[in-house]
Amino acid sequence: MSEATLPGPFGALRGQLLDAAAAFAGDGPGGADPVPGILAGMVDDVDRALREELEIFPVCHHSPASALAMTRRLREKRPTVIYLELCEDLRPLLDELRNCRLPVALQAFATELDDFPATWAPLSVVAPVTEASAEYQAIAYALETPGVELVLVDRSTDHVFQWEPRTPAEPATGDGPEGDGEEAALHGDAVGIEIGDLRPRFAELEAHLLHHGKVRHWSEWWDQYVEQPLVGADYATYRQVMVMIGSLFRRLRPARDARNDRDEDRERYMWTRMREHLAASGADPARCLYVCGAFHAASRVEQFGLRAQAPFEITPRTATRWQYGLIPSSHSAIEAQFGLAPGSVSIAAATWAKAVKRSGVTPFRLKGQEGKPKASRARRPSDPDGPVADRLSGFLSQPPAPDGLDEEELLGWCVDIVRLARRNGYLASTADAIAVFETSILLANLRGRRRPTPYDFQDAAVTCIEKDTVPGRRDVRRLCEILLGGDRVGQVGYESLPPLARDVLDRLEPLGLDLTRRTIQRALLDLGADPGLRPCSDLLWVLRRLLPDDAVRPIMGSRRLGERPIQESWDLAIGRHQRSIVELGYEGVTIEQVLEQRLRRAVADPKATAAVALEAVEDAILYLGGGRVADDLGARAVALLAAERTVDDAPDVLRRIRRLLAHYRATGPALPEWCERFVTAGYAHYCTLLPTAFVDEDTGVRQVAAMLGFLFGMEGLALSLGCDHSQLELAVRQSHPEAPAKVALLWATQTQLGLLALDALRSRYDDLLANPLVVPSIPLYLSGFVQALEPAPSLAPVIVEVMSKAFARLPDPVLLPWLPRLITTLREQAPELVPVLVREAGRVFPASLPAVDAWVPPWFARPSATVPPPIPTSAGAVADLVAGHPAACDAVAGLLGQDAGWRAATGGAGQDQVTALLAGHGDTGHAVAALVTR
Amino acid sequence: MTDEMLRAPAEVKYAEELDWLESVDDGPKPFSWRLSPRMVRLFVLGSERSDGLDREISQKWFGDRSFVERSIVTLASDRGLLLIGDPGTGKSWLAELLSAAICRNSTMVVQGTAGTTEDHIKYSWNVSMVIAKGQSRESMIPSPIMTAMEQGTIGRFEELTRSTSDVQDALISILSEKYVSIPELDADNIVFAKPGFSIIATANSRDRGVNDLSSALKRRFNFVRIPVVTSKRSEEEIVKFRTTELLRRHRIDLDVPPTLLDILLQSFADLRAAAASATSDDEKLESALSTAEQIGVLEDAILHSQFFGDRTLRAETLAGSLVGSLARRSPEDLAILNKFWHGVIEPRSKQDDGAPWQAFLEGGRQALGTLS
Repeated sequence: MSEATLPGPFGALRGQLLDAAAAFAGDGPGGADPVPGILAGMVDDVDRALREELEIFPVCHHSPASALAMTRRLREKRPTVIYLELCEDLRPLLDELRNCRLPVALQAFATELDDFPATWAPLSVVAPVTEASAEYQAIAYALETPGVELVLVDRSTDHVFQWEPRTPAEPATGDGPEGDGEEAALHGDAVGIEIGDLRPRFAELEAHLLHHGKVRHWSEWWDQYVEQPLVGADYATYRQVMVMIGSLFRRLRPARDARNDRDEDRERYMWTRMREHLAASGADPARCLYVCGAFHAASRVEQFGLRAQAPFEITPRTATRWQYGLIPSSHSAIEAQFGLAPGSVSIAAATWAKAVKRSGVTPFRLKGQEGKPKASRARRPSDPDGPVADRLSGFLSQPPAPDGLDEEELLGWCVDIVRLARRNGYLASTADAIAVFETSILLANLRGRRRPTPYDFQDAAVTCIEKDTVPGRRDVRRLCEILLGGDRVGQVGYESLPPLARDVLDRLEPLGLDLTRRTIQRALLDLGADPGLRPCSDLLWVLRRLLPDDAVRPIMGSRRLGERPIQESWDLAIGRHQRSIVELGYEGVTIEQVLEQRLRRAVADPKATAAVALEAVEDAILYLGGGRVADDLGARAVALLAAERTVDDAPDVLRRIRRLLAHYRATGPALPEWCERFVTAGYAHYCTLLPTAFVDEDTGVRQVAAMLGFLFGMEGLALSLGCDHSQLELAVRQSHPEAPAKVALLWATQTQLGLLALDALRSRYDDLLANPLVVPSIPLYLSGFVQALEPAPSLAPVIVEVMSKAFARLPDPVLLPWLPRLITTLREQAPELVPVLVREAGRVFPASLPAVDAWVPPWFARPSATVPPPIPTSAGAVADLVAGHPAACDAVAGLLGQDAGWRAATGGAGQDQVTALLAGHGDTGHAVAALVTR
Repeated sequence: MTDEMLRAPAEVKYAEELDWLESVDDGPKPFSWRLSPRMVRLFVLGSERSDGLDREISQKWFGDRSFVERSIVTLASDRGLLLIGDPGTGKSWLAELLSAAICRNSTMVVQGTAGTTEDHIKYSWNVSMVIAKGQSRESMIPSPIMTAMEQGTIGRFEELTRSTSDVQDALISILSEKYVSIPELDADNIVFAKPGFSIIATANSRDRGVNDLSSALKRRFNFVRIPVVTSKRSEEEIVKFRTTELLRRHRIDLDVPPTLLDILLQSFADLRAAAASATSDDEKLESALSTAEQIGVLEDAILHSQFFGDRTLRAETLAGSLVGSLARRSPEDLAILNKFWHGVIEPRSKQDDGAPWQAFLEGGRQALGTLS
């Protein structure tokens, strides 16, 4: 079966593998065996990729070995064109990388969608870039070397979503635990893309590799079986091994899978773009380099290769408006996004730093990038370009060259972890450092490794140091991650920030704080002493409204209508929320513009209500100074109120419009036009809905009370603007509620309107109390009365009376269960009514204990006779005049519905005395008359 | 020999496997270990084809590989091993397997209780011999730990945190100086530990705070925390493994239908989820809902079917056993089970494939009715 005579450099290896496959097949059950096909195919893929005219550089994400090989290859080959597997529309962002501290993520963001389901909005794609990556080396080389062109060839971000299936897909799951903490959430819910995604495409293969590799997660497997052996390998070996692994994962994947189709389409896309570029630019393919994931290097699409002729139609982009920017990223965010084990990216960064130091290669670096450049010692002799030779056989048949125990490094780790553990509250000692050292080596031996990997060290540290888990304390595993490089959080430089973010930083400069720092900083604004800080304060309040809760947090000071703080104190964590600010930058040029847009969008929403619109008006006044925006939003509030068919929001509407009216009356000469329209529209609207609301079971008594509150509270203004009181009166007459609480509310309303006399109200209530069948529902009536305080505060004495009677007469089984509800209802729904009630009660009830015994409630002390006391009449000129023309008085009395009859004017004893006194002191009378007439 | 014991220790039960492993083991062995660390791991976790062995070694402990590895290397180091975890997570079983593999003796056990004294850890005296012959090594009764020291084997201390702190501290000198002095004797009054001696202790994390370990003792132990198994697949493996063993021990020939096993695992998973979301202790079952508890439920159901049923395991019986095992407090546990039965099992039985759940539902209802 040997096919060692096959042509090409890999003929021998192919033969060897086929022999091995045949040997395995002999052991197993019969039937068609796909193994020879897969093994031979892998060799063919390697052969094909290496023979391709355009040099293909296979990479894997976050692989220091890839980065190192890339650096060496670039230094040696000095290509003039680099094709990179990255969304082509992200190209302009790459130039901005030099202003940033890595890791950062390139972001494409769209809120205005075209041809995508509206539920997808906002669309967000992030492509994180770390320093320990091959793509960064390629980017840095291309941007720093004159005459080198960097061409991104992958589909655009628009195509990323064009090619997404329209049906909701299963959420993706990674094997790494979900990252927690705010660093891990730096990317938000964006779709992540990365260069060189190289991982088994189905779970069983990965589980199998992990199981037999005796490792816990994919990152560890990769590190042990690919990364470590390849770090020191020459370019030919590196390339062949990477393509082979890419080919292996490609051949061992589910046959029909949407993801496969997308991958192949991407390959077609990239090759088509590269051919187009070569044809247009006339570049020499020999001076070009194509950097792509190893998975794509082993591609078998018909468009593969420069000589391929197969066409591929690239669909045009949709009209979706994409915005581009850089956002800060972090190692933990990358791990969380791509399902990598916690700490793996940090460990990769540490490995990269070490590999750079040991190999003596000078990595490429963008000028102006923050951080100190890596020192290098010597140049490694370059790998000569030559014919392809088989390096795979050697790699596959021999164990990696011994990379002895780096005792010094391990010792350093052991000492440091103990120190770090002690600082974090663990009882760790030097004895533990020794134990960790010993255990690491034992573990590595047990796991068949020549030297402990960071993962062995981590296990050893956990075994020897961690005795208890204390909530809130960092566990030892996390401490090891910190020790081995820790989570690094990137930062977008000032120059690369969108105008809005720069504007925010500029305007906050008077605070004198370095807002790019990731710590929480305290800002103290003494607005009285330094009025120049007022614009800062205004901006901070807008940021407070737009950013997540903990980005800017007021410690002292508040912003409400009618308030003007003289001192404010803030906790600012703007540096930590750079992403949120950058994303605000996609919405507008200034922060005020973004807020205005958001407010307008909120009120234009089909689900918006009048309460929402009034809130927007309030926000516009608070944060944007009112003006035209507030008027526009107010006009929308009027339209919304008139169109509303429910009164659920009535309490909110009442509260807000009251506040707004108070504000406008206090600050301006006249109410804005929309306010007037709102009051008249509201008056008519609520009058119309009142009868329905009274009987509707779904409408609560609180809502009805709020409607009445609006009607009574705004009546003066409404009547002055042309409304008619009879509309309200009619509405009340039309209301016939059945629910006890609403009945009580209606009585109170009628009393307030003068439709029901106070005594009639009292007697109705007394009848209720006297009726044993109604007693259980008395608390409901009381609830209605309490709510009546809202529209009719003047009824407070009556309500106190009503409640006192209830407390006095209701049996305990009815009263006691209701009391807690009364208190909670009052506290939740009508906190402003409680003081009114309490003040009135304080006025009625005796203040001291002894007085209680003698106290008779005023309502019992009231004379029972309803006949009004005779009006004292007196003789004199007026009485004489009235008595002289009785017809006029009778006509007026008849008009008013009164017929009290005529009584003779009696000049009482007091009257005579007054007359005598005045006659005796005529001078005084004259002097007073002169004084009055003067 | 195993036929004469109700429960043979691991070294007896797997004697043949251990002999074979010892014969093929060519790896370096620490101290006087009978197997190299890799072979110990192989013995505990079972063999793969890729290990290249001529015979298959069965898996005996199910859980994360790294726990076993960390335990083995701890025993090869200077420190003692403390396995800590919820009840029923297989701590003692792992300790037994490790001792059996390392020194072929897992019976050097001290059981920690509130009544454990320092004598149980060090030595005590045969009073009548002392009266007859005076104090000598002959009249001394060494504890299992001391015997392990003399033999250079592994001593085990079960439920370390159940014994009082002062008694626990007797281990400090044993673990650091590696000898026990016997001041009552004038000569030959020190027992030195031979190479290979170490201690495996187990502690129940639910007993935390009862008798906390002193810092000095903590320092001399490496802690390996064994979590409750939550992966359904490995839990299924464990339940199957242990049940087969139990059936063999009871000489019962009875099949556990896979659907019933599924029902059991799913019910426990649901109950665990409910316990995790409970806000107070009254809202969760007193039971830890460990894998051992599942095995207990299954064993109970099997025995019930064998002796009082028609020798077929039925869903009703399983439900009865589950309710009977988990309802420990009345009325709290009963109320939780009642809620669980009607809120989770009942909807499940109404689904398309809910036929086996129907019988389970009925059985549970009956059991709850009897207990209420």
